[in-house]
Amino acid sequence: MTTETAEREPLVRAEGVRKSFGNNEVLKGIDLEIRRGEVVCIIGASGSGKSTFLRCVNHLEKIDGGLLRVEDRVVGYRLKGHKLHEQSYNEICADRADIGMVFQHFNLFPHMTVLENLMEAPLRVLKQRKDEVRRRALGLLDKVGLAEKAQAYPRHLSGGQQQRVAIARALCMEPKLMLFDEPTSALDPELVGEVLRVMKDLARTGMTMIVVTHEMGFARDVADRVVFMHDGRILEEGPAEAVINHPQHERTRAFLSAVL
Amino acid sequence: MRGTVSLSKTAGTRGDYTVVAARHPWRWVAAAAVTAVVVLFLVSAMTNPRFGWDKVALYFRDTTIVNGIGITLLLTVVCMAAGVALGVVLAVMQLSVNPVVKASAGMYVTVFRGTPVLVQLLFWFNLSALYPEITFGIPGISLDANQLITPLAAAILGLGLNEAAYMSEIVRAGIQSIDQGQGEAAGALGMSRLQTLFRVILPQAMRVIIPPTGNEFIGMLKMTSLVSVIAVPELLYSAQIIYSKNLQVVPLLIVASIWYIIFTTVFSVGQGYVERRFSRGTSRSVPPSAAERLRHFFRVHSPQASGRGSHS
Repeated sequence: MTTETAEREPLVRAEGVRKSFGNNEVLKGIDLEIRRGEVVCIIGASGSGKSTFLRCVNHLEKIDGGLLRVEDRVVGYRLKGHKLHEQSYNEICADRADIGMVFQHFNLFPHMTVLENLMEAPLRVLKQRKDEVRRRALGLLDKVGLAEKAQAYPRHLSGGQQQRVAIARALCMEPKLMLFDEPTSALDPELVGEVLRVMKDLARTGMTMIVVTHEMGFARDVADRVVFMHDGRILEEGPAEAVINHPQHERTRAFLSAVL
Repeated sequence: MRGTVSLSKTAGTRGDYTVVAARHPWRWVAAAAVTAVVVLFLVSAMTNPRFGWDKVALYFRDTTIVNGIGITLLLTVVCMAAGVALGVVLAVMQLSVNPVVKASAGMYVTVFRGTPVLVQLLFWFNLSALYPEITFGIPGISLDANQLITPLAAAILGLGLNEAAYMSEIVRAGIQSIDQGQGEAAGALGMSRLQTLFRVILPQAMRVIIPPTGNEFIGMLKMTSLVSVIAVPELLYSAQIIYSKNLQVVPLLIVASIWYIIFTTVFSVGQGYVERRFSRGTSRSVPPSAAERLRHFFRVHSPQASGRGSHS
């Protein structure tokens, strides 16, 4: 495969993805392709299924129907001929190592320092050398503007700082895809900006990003594409500018006028 | 309201006033009542010759008693260590996704928590009646149960296995107290289940696990007295050995009780310090240690302090 076709090949491909919690079907067939280097924002009201879809991409939720591919892998399964073999938990974990995830509530490890938070997985999962991981971790902390907090514990940081550490922690695994699950929703309004700035910088480096967010300004400025979800389906998708400024669908218009 | 008015009239700063500390009359009433009861009891204990205080003093450091203390402490430490180790394993099994593993751990807890530990001790002690030869089902292995299960071995098995059932519930509660997001974050970083458990979940769960484990430890110290029924010469049985010869039942029970209180007190103070260590930094107000509380008492109640009131 030449580089050119590899670039055109989608990194994430969802085909008719379905997911139910009990009798409640939250994803009713999602079809979506995300190319390398693309930044895609998923917007929509609470309960539209956008977070659930994001969590399916790295198998934090198991899908009930359809197929989800990341690169040439099928999420949650090993493809052997025409059979899909369900993966064990540890196989799933191994596959997740190159997908970074940032959570709404940061989920930093409170008993470890900031630096230890960054170094833990590269050391234990990737079994990389300590000095190498350390250098990379300190470089990433510098990039998110928290170099001087390396030895601090998460509880001594503000929410915005914690989220920036969480982004650096995910990046320390050198992922090829970054998932953001409402990364600024738990933050005080004055702290949102610093996190969005870090994400904007990351987008400029060419990282593939899927961002579930309510920040329409960020979506408009940074996203290549915006996907509007409603009631477990994708209602509208297209270039950020088009979807946000000229929504085609009635529901999209109603949602945007409520949040803008 | 009146206070506000007079304050605005005089319009002074705080330095213009004398602060009078709050009085606590009921504390003194309670202290008097308690003192009366204690004095009554002490007088009775001193004047009643059947307490046999001279015998208490005589046997307090008797060699048999001291050896008994050694066995009591040994049993406490060994059974507690076995209980904690096996308890962690059982807790992890109970939280396993493997239904067979989960159910077997649940069954263990049901059996060992559901029967009195005294009955379990008697079972282990009489194991040779049930299995005269222990083969583990492996040909070529044949161990004499009577030689293998000595009273001490039966005591360790009984107390340790019983403790494991209780510890597993404590550890399980600790693990379950940790926010789900922690496990998800570790999983999203690619950490395996065991890595997540030992590197992320258990270190955080320790804060919840430590205090009840301290209680279990103190409980275990006292529970070792049960093994006197299977003739293990720990503290209580040592006292019984002596009073079965000289019939000084009460003085020797007092000797044993004083030693139990000494060790439970020492361990309680130690438990307080361990708890403080593990709660450091996580809660905003760390409770004062035993030594700090004592210092505070004397600072507040010293003659120089009167009128200034406490500053706690």
